[in-house]
Amino acid sequence: MPTYTKVLAHLSQPDVADRVHALSHDGAVEFLVLSREDTLRRRLRGTTDKGTEVTIALNRDEQLSDGAVLSLDADKALIVRMSEERWLRLEPRDTDAAIEAGYFAGNLHWRVRFAPGALLIALEGPVEHYLQRIAPLTTSGKVLALQP
Amino acid sequence: MNEKTRLPGVARIGIGGPVGSGKTALVERLIPALKARNIEVAVVANDLVTREDAERIRRSGLIDPARVLAVETGACPHTAIREDPTMNILAVEKLIETFPEVEVILVESGGDNLASTFSLELVDYWLFVIDTSDGDDIPRKKGPGIVRSDILVINKVDLAPYVGANVENMVRDASQVRSGRTVILTNCKTGEGIETLVDQLAHDVLFTA
Repeated sequence: MPTYTKVLAHLSQPDVADRVHALSHDGAVEFLVLSREDTLRRRLRGTTDKGTEVTIALNRDEQLSDGAVLSLDADKALIVRMSEERWLRLEPRDTDAAIEAGYFAGNLHWRVRFAPGALLIALEGPVEHYLQRIAPLTTSGKVLALQP
Repeated sequence: MNEKTRLPGVARIGIGGPVGSGKTALVERLIPALKARNIEVAVVANDLVTREDAERIRRSGLIDPARVLAVETGACPHTAIREDPTMNILAVEKLIETFPEVEVILVESGGDNLASTFSLELVDYWLFVIDTSDGDDIPRKKGPGIVRSDILVINKVDLAPYVGANVENMVRDASQVRSGRTVILTNCKTGEGIETLVDQLAHDVLFTA
């Protein structure tokens, strides 16, 4: 099984993108789809979209990212793709509910984003786990939770 | 002896879990088990206001005491492994600089609650240790440590009959809340389950299997 030990290039480099595009016509590009969390690891094992099992071992000064090129030669390429993040949208009914929702999210160490009138929670596990935790807010009508 | 292929970097493995679940005992089992596989080990041990765990491992005779560094968090232990792991990152880097032959560093967190998780800026992979005497409903409580760790270790399986814990139910509940991710049973007093755990580490993060 191949172990990839360097990020060789990035798809944002035009010459690299051209080479990968050319290989894609021959079906010679494999993608390793990782969650945002997994791109933070320097050691991991995964399976590409074509079913190839791979391992990755990087030095600490290198990091995986969407478009990172792990392999690129005349015959094939391996590219990292970051899976799309899912966000749970919480819409509080008033200021008091917003304060409560903010406290709750902070206390649970959830990663958040702000949107007009809403608090967005990054889903790093099954949405049911999050909905169970905020059930007191949603069942009381203080907060409306909209799933992605 | 065959020359080993050295991978870039050092594998960093976090070990978290509540106070008294057996994290230090697990470290004391992992050190010889890894060494037996010709894997060079070092340890960072976190404590709240003492250096108790690091001193215990240094005195164990299992490892060169210089390969064990203590981090005294002084406050919530999870802060030093998640929100701001700077102290631990520095300790890990010091060990790598001092012992370039080291291949894996075990970072034992200070005892915390079920909400404790590791920053992946600090470690590549992490275990969460609970024990049967905490109560067999612990997995159902879905703490982030239980749900999100790479391996959940249920320790002290030998105590289950004495505390009325049903280990089968613990494994079933843990597998359910972890969507089938690995759960390993251990008894760190006897070494039961340790080889299974090291096999899993070798496969998932050390790449020696």
